[in-house]
Amino acid sequence: MIRYFARRAGHGLLMLFGVSILLFLLFQAAPGDFLSEMKMNSQISPETITLLRAQYGLDQPLPVRYWQWLKSSARGDFGYSFAYNAPASTLLWPRARNTLLLSVPALLISWLIAVPLGVLAAGWRGRWADRLFSGGTSALLALPDVLIALVALLVALKTGVFPVGGMTSINAQDQGMWAWLRDLGWHMVLPVTALVVGSLTIILRHVRASVIEVLESSYIRAAEGHGLPRFKLLFGHALPAAANPLISLFGLSVALLLSVSLLIEVVMSWPGIGPLLLEAIMSRDLFLVIGAVMLSTVFLIAGNLVGDVLLYAFDPRIRRQG
Amino acid sequence: MVHALRTLDLEIAGGESVGVLGESGSGKSSLALALMRLLPKNARVVSGSIDYAGRSLADFSPAELRRMRGAQVALISQEPALALNPVLPLGKQLADVLRAHGKLAPQEVAARCDEMLREVGFADPERILRAYPHELSGGQRQRVAIAQALICRPNLLIADEPLSALDVATQADILELLQRLKRDLGLAMLFITHNAGALSAITDKIVVMRQGETVAQGTMDALQVSQDEYVQGILFPEKTLANAALAQGSIPSGAPLLEVRGLSKKFVQKRLLSRKEFVVQSLDEIVLSLAVGSTVAVLGRSGSGKSTLARCLAGFETPDSGDILLEGKRAEKNKFGARPPVQMIFQDAATSLNPRFTARQIVAEPLEIARWKSEPDRTIRAMQLMEEVGLDPDWASRLAGEFSGGQRQRLALARALAAGPKLLIMDEALSGLDMPLQAQMMRLLMDLQSRHGLTYLYISHDLNFISLFAQEVVVMDSGRIVERTTPEKLGESSHPATRELVEASERLHAPGVEAAV
Repeated sequence: MIRYFARRAGHGLLMLFGVSILLFLLFQAAPGDFLSEMKMNSQISPETITLLRAQYGLDQPLPVRYWQWLKSSARGDFGYSFAYNAPASTLLWPRARNTLLLSVPALLISWLIAVPLGVLAAGWRGRWADRLFSGGTSALLALPDVLIALVALLVALKTGVFPVGGMTSINAQDQGMWAWLRDLGWHMVLPVTALVVGSLTIILRHVRASVIEVLESSYIRAAEGHGLPRFKLLFGHALPAAANPLISLFGLSVALLLSVSLLIEVVMSWPGIGPLLLEAIMSRDLFLVIGAVMLSTVFLIAGNLVGDVLLYAFDPRIRRQG
Repeated sequence: MVHALRTLDLEIAGGESVGVLGESGSGKSSLALALMRLLPKNARVVSGSIDYAGRSLADFSPAELRRMRGAQVALISQEPALALNPVLPLGKQLADVLRAHGKLAPQEVAARCDEMLREVGFADPERILRAYPHELSGGQRQRVAIAQALICRPNLLIADEPLSALDVATQADILELLQRLKRDLGLAMLFITHNAGALSAITDKIVVMRQGETVAQGTMDALQVSQDEYVQGILFPEKTLANAALAQGSIPSGAPLLEVRGLSKKFVQKRLLSRKEFVVQSLDEIVLSLAVGSTVAVLGRSGSGKSTLARCLAGFETPDSGDILLEGKRAEKNKFGARPPVQMIFQDAATSLNPRFTARQIVAEPLEIARWKSEPDRTIRAMQLMEEVGLDPDWASRLAGEFSGGQRQRLALARALAAGPKLLIMDEALSGLDMPLQAQMMRLLMDLQSRHGLTYLYISHDLNFISLFAQEVVVMDSGRIVERTTPEKLGESSHPATRELVEASERLHAPGVEAAV
């Protein structure tokens, strides 16, 4: 069992290396760097720019820069932000925490709603309830995420019940721990809702489809022939058998949620990785972009690892492979 | 609309057991599902009724149906591999059936499960309860499925081809088990099969079905003297063969077509970043020779290396050492890596034929690869070949998926013949077919052999019709040839691997209805 997870984690680590190399290559291929804009400015002399370039290490060849970045990552800095004049990690950690604050609850809520609903829809297949359900999810699926975020903002503005944008109220910190937590929770409602709405439908449809496939299998028909009650048949027998593809989807849903989250953070001005990444890309802040993308990759790999653990727990055939 | 069943009349008294005999496609399985009211949604009952204990099933409410299923009428189905949920422990699957039909204390559930597993012949129920389906063999799985069906002590057991997915030795075990349970529990049974041999041992009355209708019914003795051709064909499939049988008992001593010397092959499994190796010695110093125009049967249980031998001969695998000589010369592969004079027919025609190809495309493909003549000539040749294997050439533009199992195997045969082979290897090619269909295929193969002077290597795990079909028998075990003999002397053999095969097939075929072993 430990070997299984060690191997999985090893794969994740290799993947991180691959992604980082790819990112460096992509940046190399992209025209311009952080200093390109300064060149346009006639008040900054070319000497200053050459000096700065040497100081930032941008004049070094690519392998050297990569090696420097690796060393800095080993120290926990993950490179240096040109725009903020600080190690990338000091900028990334708080932002990462804020992003997790949105995506982890959204992930859990999406799955908690999607699994029972999807199983029930599969059980009702072909009846009016299922048709209604399929129509509803198709409509939701067609909505762009930006639109969902904007509608949520509109609701907040019109009703005034929920705060519009931001993470906390200005004076929240002063009123003690509990008030601050309540304030934070209140701010989370809209972005989390938008995230859940944005990712729920895909999960729902997958749950329904894989349970339907299992319901057609001969062992479920055999179980029905043995007179098992409907509820037990659906949740006790069909769902565990359908879990395998769904658990793979769990890893993927982390990626889905992260990409939706980047967008929603920007629209709802939530101080997560999204706005930071956007800003860093605009100013070609090399290490910050790389750091933000690497962090997303880490989340993704972690999501897949959780998926592997779940798969191990659910599927006896995987356990045997060890 | 297709009628799966029509005007079928059937009555089963308490404790009585009735056999249903019919070819594939005769509506047997629809009957089983109809009796449980488990037919798929697209099935409609056009007319007629099914009464259980004096009440029509159509009047049962969903809740009543649920209580009846499993508790009063139980079903075991064809594929033990598919009848159990792969991700749940067997103990839970067994206990769930029990709990579905009444509230019981946990200790009582455990005790009943334990007792039931012992009843179906497990000496270590605790291990089975914890195990998952993939950890058991096919026969063990079928035992668990039987335990599941009988744990609530139903009055009627419907067994839908409970043997056909198992190997011969296991088939005989399961048949004995069902006989014993029927006697001990006073079960009424509906036993559905295409294998007449199994029926006489276990049933009081037999119904012969064809295309959803009853052709004949009565006791085995009465049916045996029936004049109906279909009944005779299904009871005595070997009669189809007897007329075509060649001179038996003599091993053709002509020039050898194929000689195999010291053929060895092992498979090494290695994992990335690991030093451990798993070595499977699949073939060990095989020596074999086939005379022109002869039929040699290779027998052995699964995993004995039969298929690897076939794949080496046909050129799919490269042996580690040893020589393969065709007509005295080393068998070379052509530029496509193939060995056209050796053709192979696989066990499962459904997967060895592309379902999106038409029959003509399939049969003409070897001709196309060989760039044989022109397109119209190839089409004509393909249609000739189809006719030769007993398929209507008018069906040339049908897709492979539209043919039945037996017809697909004929199509595979036509494709093999198109390559102009000298040696035809049949790797369990007939094992998936009904006994009557097997007999028909063998008859066809024997005709083709005498017409074209073909040589056959027939690989099988059972002994059906062997004595009528092959002149020589080779028994394999763990990658070695352990015995070479004639089909007639097979019964006298003392080698354990041979004895196992012979005994299994003797147990399965009751005397009198013997399927010519």
